Amino acid sequence: MAGWSEKVLDIDLSTQTYQTYPLDMEMARLFVGGRGLGARLLWDMVGPEVDALSPENVLIFTNGPLTGTGYQTSNRFSVTTKSPLTGTVLDANSGGFWGMQFKKAGYDVMIVRGKAEKPVWIEIKNAEITFHDASELWGMRVFALTAKLGQNNNKRNVLCIGPAGENLSRMASIMNDRERALARGGPGAVMGSKNLKAIVVEGKERPVINDPERFKFMLYETRKLLAASPLTSQALPEFGTVVLMNIMNNIGALATCNHQQTQFEGADAISGEELSEKYLVKNSACWACPIGCTRISKTEKGEGEGPEFESTWAFGAQCGIADLPAIIEANTLCNDLGLDTITAGSTIACAMELSEKGYMDSDLRFGRADQLAPTLEAMAYREDIGSDLTDGSLRLATKYGHPELSMSAKGMEMPAYDPRGMQGQGLLYATSNRGGCHMRGNMVGPEVLGLPKMIDRFQVQGKSSFVILHQNVSAAIDSLVICKFTNMGVADEYFARVLSSVTGIQYDTGELTRVGERVWNLERLYNLREGFTRKDDTLPSRLLTEAPTEGPSKGWVVQLEPMLKEYYRGRGWDENGIPRPQKLEELNLADLLVRI
Amino acid sequence: MPTVKLYANLRKLAGTKEVSIPGATVRAVLNELVKQNPSLQGVVLENEELRPHVVVTLNGHNKIDINMQVQEQDVIAVFPPIAGG
Repeated sequence: MAGWSEKVLDIDLSTQTYQTYPLDMEMARLFVGGRGLGARLLWDMVGPEVDALSPENVLIFTNGPLTGTGYQTSNRFSVTTKSPLTGTVLDANSGGFWGMQFKKAGYDVMIVRGKAEKPVWIEIKNAEITFHDASELWGMRVFALTAKLGQNNNKRNVLCIGPAGENLSRMASIMNDRERALARGGPGAVMGSKNLKAIVVEGKERPVINDPERFKFMLYETRKLLAASPLTSQALPEFGTVVLMNIMNNIGALATCNHQQTQFEGADAISGEELSEKYLVKNSACWACPIGCTRISKTEKGEGEGPEFESTWAFGAQCGIADLPAIIEANTLCNDLGLDTITAGSTIACAMELSEKGYMDSDLRFGRADQLAPTLEAMAYREDIGSDLTDGSLRLATKYGHPELSMSAKGMEMPAYDPRGMQGQGLLYATSNRGGCHMRGNMVGPEVLGLPKMIDRFQVQGKSSFVILHQNVSAAIDSLVICKFTNMGVADEYFARVLSSVTGIQYDTGELTRVGERVWNLERLYNLREGFTRKDDTLPSRLLTEAPTEGPSKGWVVQLEPMLKEYYRGRGWDENGIPRPQKLEELNLADLLVRI
Repeated sequence: MPTVKLYANLRKLAGTKEVSIPGATVRAVLNELVKQNPSLQGVVLENEELRPHVVVTLNGHNKIDINMQVQEQDVIAVFPPIAGG
């Protein structure tokens, strides 16, 4: 069938063997690809009895029917696994070139099981799969390894882990194309636990498109739409994502010093404006992307990709640091070590607060830019203080007797938006299936930027319907798989038409949103099966009880309980957050309920 | 006079980050801002209305009516279309 390659590559590292078999196309129709397909496969393979870092956990790499077709931003892919950071279902998604190359190799899915006796790396050249000894590569950092394995953007692409993954840091990312990351939730630790250092792909097949003429016209239309939108044609290319720093600070919703404040006096010094004026070398773009939001930045210590808004915030406002070169260098170092920048920065901030309050014996202090690089090195190698920090802020704060100082939801560190100034974002963090995350829907559009329309960010009643819609659309886009920024210039209804032209299956707008809702409910069922309950749909007590004493969000805490009740009702779940049978019937998920 | 703070490419266009502008309402201040900085015409306002996706905050509050009255000490922030995540 057009769109999908209809082929699964299933690798067992314990025996260093592989098999290929046809993709279940009914499953593909229902879950499409990427995040959705990955979650459905994980459901069957990894149950609650499996430890995330055991050989029984799996890594499921998925692309989608749009991947590699040349549709704008159709470069993305996902990895799905049980998260070693949170214990929830995890998918992480990345751009660059690797996803497109993997599609061209002729597969929709690659499952990696088991554990190699010694370090290995895998080379895929369409049907030719080779296991290589990686003993001499073990210990290498990401940039050197990527170059050594022959990264060539349009022909040969490298995905790998750095020292953090090897040392089973629960915040280890999997890196692809040198500086792109499957970052959150610790997938790099799962790869490290399997003794798998890298996966290199070369592909020669062209994805088949059902209606090439219609598709070609849609490429043209999408190009026009993206060019006409000031967001995708000017805002993102000119200033990148870091441009959000000043507006979040201005409205008093920029988490600062481990969420102790909601405004940072050094915000302008670490803003997108400052980055563009003093450190930007040029823009860069992922494969088939006309937006080009990626920054290439340079400091005295060298050049690197990024930083994005969340990374800049994590090492900046969250750590009370207004030194942009140090933040750029910390971001580049994380990419080279294979660490998730958001969790790394927020965990350092947590350690700073624990230390300043005397709960932890360390010299870490807010505002100390000089402490970033050595702390990150120590985290990646589990050395000294790094061994306490490298498994995330919740484990760290719990060890020192103050779990309430971990700014996380379900154990995943939240990003920059302080939800006391954005009620909907609070609900979104609390209900996100992979934990505190802004990529499972993001209320910054309607609550801050007026996209598509400004809503009252402090309003509680009725907010859940926006959150549900954003979560469902986000899950659908993650299953196509394309970049969410495309949605800033192109309505999600249009994506249903593109999917239809590529696959030949008629998806209308409602059906694509239903795919997102189906994926969301499946992930919810997975977490329930893992033992998560209503009590896990919550936020750190600081955000629920400690109101900012100054700034535009003064006096506000997150009014979670009423929003949560409304959210469960809106989702068709019972008062304990369990999907009702009728809802699961409606979503073709009824057979799964029997199994939890 | 109310203070107007400018962000992103508005800084380049106006050649400043911050300026004091007279006016009794947000609308009046913005009109005067554009009058004093013609390069912002068509960027912030068009036919005296805010351009799509331009965000204006008053003392950090982003859901405002631009006909609201302003005081001497008020701070108006103006952001051109921006995005990220």
